[in-house]
Amino acid sequence: MKSELNLKKVIYGLGAIALAFGLWGFYLRFFVGERLVNYGSYVVWGLWVAMYLFYGGISTGSMMIASLDYLFGIRLFKGSGKIALWAAVVTMPAALVTIAMDLGHMERVWKVFLQPNLLSVMAQLVWGYSIFMVVLLAALWLVIRLESGKQDARPWLRFVMGVGLFLSIFLSGGVGALLGVNASREAWHTAMLPAQFPVFSLLSGCALMLTLLGWFAPADEKRPQQLRALSIGLLILLLVKTYYLWVDYSQALYAGTPVASEAVTLVLFGRYGWAFWLLQLGLGMVFPIAFLLSRRFQQSPFWSGVVGVAVLVGIAVARANIIFPMLSIPELEGLAQAFTGPHLNYDYYPSLMEWAVTLGVTGGAALAWLIGVDYLPFLKIKTQEVAQ
Amino acid sequence: MADEEKSMRLSRRNFIKIVGVAGAALASRRFLGGHTAAANRPRVELPELPAPPANADADVLLRMQEELARALKKPPSERRWVMVIDLRKCVGCHACTIACVAENKLPPGVVYRPVIEKEIGTYPNVSRLFVPRPCMQCEKPPCTPVCPVNATYTNEEGVVVVDYEQCIGCRACITACPYGARTSDFGYTYTEETPVADGLILGRERADDYERASNFEYGKGYDRPGDHGSPIGNARKCHFCLHRLHEGLLPACVTTCIGRATLFGDANDPDSLVAELISKPNVTVLKEELGTKPRVYYLV
Ligand code: SF4
Ligand code: SF4
Repeated sequence: MKSELNLKKVIYGLGAIALAFGLWGFYLRFFVGERLVNYGSYVVWGLWVAMYLFYGGISTGSMMIASLDYLFGIRLFKGSGKIALWAAVVTMPAALVTIAMDLGHMERVWKVFLQPNLLSVMAQLVWGYSIFMVVLLAALWLVIRLESGKQDARPWLRFVMGVGLFLSIFLSGGVGALLGVNASREAWHTAMLPAQFPVFSLLSGCALMLTLLGWFAPADEKRPQQLRALSIGLLILLLVKTYYLWVDYSQALYAGTPVASEAVTLVLFGRYGWAFWLLQLGLGMVFPIAFLLSRRFQQSPFWSGVVGVAVLVGIAVARANIIFPMLSIPELEGLAQAFTGPHLNYDYYPSLMEWAVTLGVTGGAALAWLIGVDYLPFLKIKTQEVAQ
Repeated sequence: MADEEKSMRLSRRNFIKIVGVAGAALASRRFLGGHTAAANRPRVELPELPAPPANADADVLLRMQEELARALKKPPSERRWVMVIDLRKCVGCHACTIACVAENKLPPGVVYRPVIEKEIGTYPNVSRLFVPRPCMQCEKPPCTPVCPVNATYTNEEGVVVVDYEQCIGCRACITACPYGARTSDFGYTYTEETPVADGLILGRERADDYERASNFEYGKGYDRPGDHGSPIGNARKCHFCLHRLHEGLLPACVTTCIGRATLFGDANDPDSLVAELISKPNVTVLKEELGTKPRVYYLV
């Protein structure tokens, strides 16, 4: 209990610092402008797009996890659905704010609603995520009713969660399609991408839930079982992800043609190869798999939380590794040298403002989640409820 | 002989001096006196330019000019604008790149028509290749269907255009273009942070006015406001100088090409130069395998 309090304090503190840093980033973005970013006309999408995929994945994945309780009524997870749902509620705005920052004319975003090209994947995603946000809020409202004893909300909640689950699968696949439709980008243009992304979302949701339950749920008799179930789920998903990684990279490398292998070679041995080996593979996959294979560790709440965070860091790096390297390959040989100027660069590293906004959004989402579970009565996890 | 050389050298030196002094006097009149505008300048009647030779064969530009006038008489949907770039004639002078920058007032970081340079072979068998790369005006453009707000589309003349007022700046089209033909406008000006010294240097303020004054893209006239209005924040690309075409002028890159390597016209006109050229076996397009059907052809 004491360690949980200390951990909370640390996260409150870190969240507040990150948010303050982020506010400075927002100030720069709004009052100095987009020129302070390091992405540009060649590496067109940068950290913010990667983080949009990341937060979107967490939100849809958390929805999938929440459905264990509210849609499928799995007893083991009874009472934990609301913290997953709340996580989905706070991370979806994080995704939307981050991607809005990336727009050259964010004041025109209404056009996507009123004058959309619905055949474009991007428009479909904007619509889909907006509907998803409404579904999340509707589910939250029904949970509030349920918590105040109004049982008539239960069938509605089940229906809404069903819609939410369906949307979360399609929207996760949609971000894969956003990249996949670019036929000229060899490493993206594969149907595997939209097929893989729902699995990545579930993995994100599972990892986050492991952290939330491990660090913040009451230490009752159900928690070890929940942690164990989530650990096994996470382990399986990590193995599937490892297999996907192998399939993707081996196909590209064995193909032997530079156009297929260039992006993968950049990920593995390029300027940011260390991020792949240390963070994506080491911290995000090898460490958690080794850890989760040990049953003794599987039930340690603190370490479960650490594993969850490690997996999330690995996923965030994986998102970046899907976006940047592919865009770092000139469309035509010699284009990089043909004309120089600001934002005409194939060598991308996020700017301070990009980091600031990203950290701020992450800090804001973490604070929002903590404040919710600490101060919103309907989000309190009652020990007896879990014990039922 | 030596005397003659000496006197020539002297006179050359004198000439440079005279030009220098005259230039300085001119500059001091304009800048020291603070007269940068044309207000007090006496009107000079310029002699009329001689009419171009009647024979269109004298220069391909004249032929293309005539063909352009002919094409403009047709309904827009019956024109098929095509650009042909003769790689054998391109000398890599980048005049087209600069003409385009000047015509469309492109800011730093925005380029419609870079010239890609390639070195081929190894010493002693080395040659250089120059490949100007405008927008390919693909007949099947991958850049338009990805736009979430229909801000970029193929107009009735077959040119892929961007509606700056509609564009939200998501850059999906830039990602989708296989030729790197679109760039994003981040709102720079060439003159920013250049020095200002009132009355001494023309400097940022005056030059900035020029940069911010309207261009003529799409026949609309977009100035560069300080408040992040379009075209700042938008995706931008070559549009075959539609605004010039509609006035009967060839694209800026075509008229400035010193090697006459860039040719332009209506491929639907069987008598046009471009129609003739693209029916030859030495014609090729970039990344043909993608099936984007570029309207920019290269002669090799
Ligand atoms: S070259 Fe690129 S920008 Fe131009 S039409 Fe083709 S895909 Fe679109
Ligand atoms: S940058 Fe503009 S033109 Fe390009 S896809 Fe986005 S909204 Fe459309």
